[in-house]
Amino acid sequence: MKGDNLQELVEFVAQSLVDQPANVNVEKQQRGNMVQLELHVAKEDMGRVIGKGGRVANSIRTLLNVAAAREGSRANLDIVEPS
Amino acid sequence: MSEERTKLEIIAPSVEEAVEKGLRDLGLTEDDVDIEVLDEGKKGLLGLGSRQARIALKIKGASKKKDKAEKNQELVKTREVLPEEVDESKKMGAEPEEVSIARETINIILEKMRVTADVSVRLGESDDNRVQPVLIDIEGKDLSFLIGRKAETINALQFVTSLIVGRELGRWVPLQIDVQHYRQRREDELRKLARRIADQVVSTGRKQALEPMPPNERRIVHIELRDNPDVETESVGEDPKRKVTVRLK
Repeated sequence: MKGDNLQELVEFVAQSLVDQPANVNVEKQQRGNMVQLELHVAKEDMGRVIGKGGRVANSIRTLLNVAAAREGSRANLDIVEPS
Repeated sequence: MSEERTKLEIIAPSVEEAVEKGLRDLGLTEDDVDIEVLDEGKKGLLGLGSRQARIALKIKGASKKKDKAEKNQELVKTREVLPEEVDESKKMGAEPEEVSIARETINIILEKMRVTADVSVRLGESDDNRVQPVLIDIEGKDLSFLIGRKAETINALQFVTSLIVGRELGRWVPLQIDVQHYRQRREDELRKLARRIADQVVSTGRKQALEPMPPNERRIVHIELRDNPDVETESVGEDPKRKVTVRLK
């Protein structure tokens, strides 16, 4: 399905960077050509996927946007703090 | 761990080079250490009275590194479940592990991005340091989207890849990604620019500031003009607006 690879991209990068890869979960919602992704990680791993000054999160978003543009869609990534 | 083992002093021609050298030698990133500038150094006139920069790196939380290494072992195991890419050079055996980990990582990322390209991974020259950088060259048709505006995409790709490779290895390695030889072309451009600005400074006698640049690009300018007898360079401002200034010696 369209956007699956975007979800997998975020999943792969997040799982490779965190201490608890089993607690990485990426949810996808599709509205027209807009792919909305929500990344959930363990609370202790939030810093690893966000990075100093948001550098990791922004790099993931940059790659995501490029990958989305290639299939004519747009993507948005939210990193959700576990409640 | 004793104080001596968690602190390292480095001497190099500039503070930036000292930090870079120290991090390479330790196999760590800037986030892992506290940097203390002991002496900013001085350029001196025609090599007279010049003084090298001296800095100290203190490792934060010395036990953290070991935990990371252990965890990376687990990650490597989970990774092996993924389908292996067929790769000629892999069959040659005796390949350094940072090269194979880097190749696997970049191949997975590119595959998820639906990018088809030729990827070659090798170790570069170790620039009077012990750690050899991992060099990844990506070539193919219409890959300019992988470079991005102001190299944004290639830098994001390089940053994410180097983080993952560093974690898998349990130590930091310098890693550079090039797409269609963009970085080589940019380096040539920057060297040319540096020499042109230096000529202008000499003929007008006025100090000049270059556009803001990332650290790796500023470094190219500093090195290009390091041996210039007439001008000296200095980085001023804060990232991402930090820029090189060139003035008469």
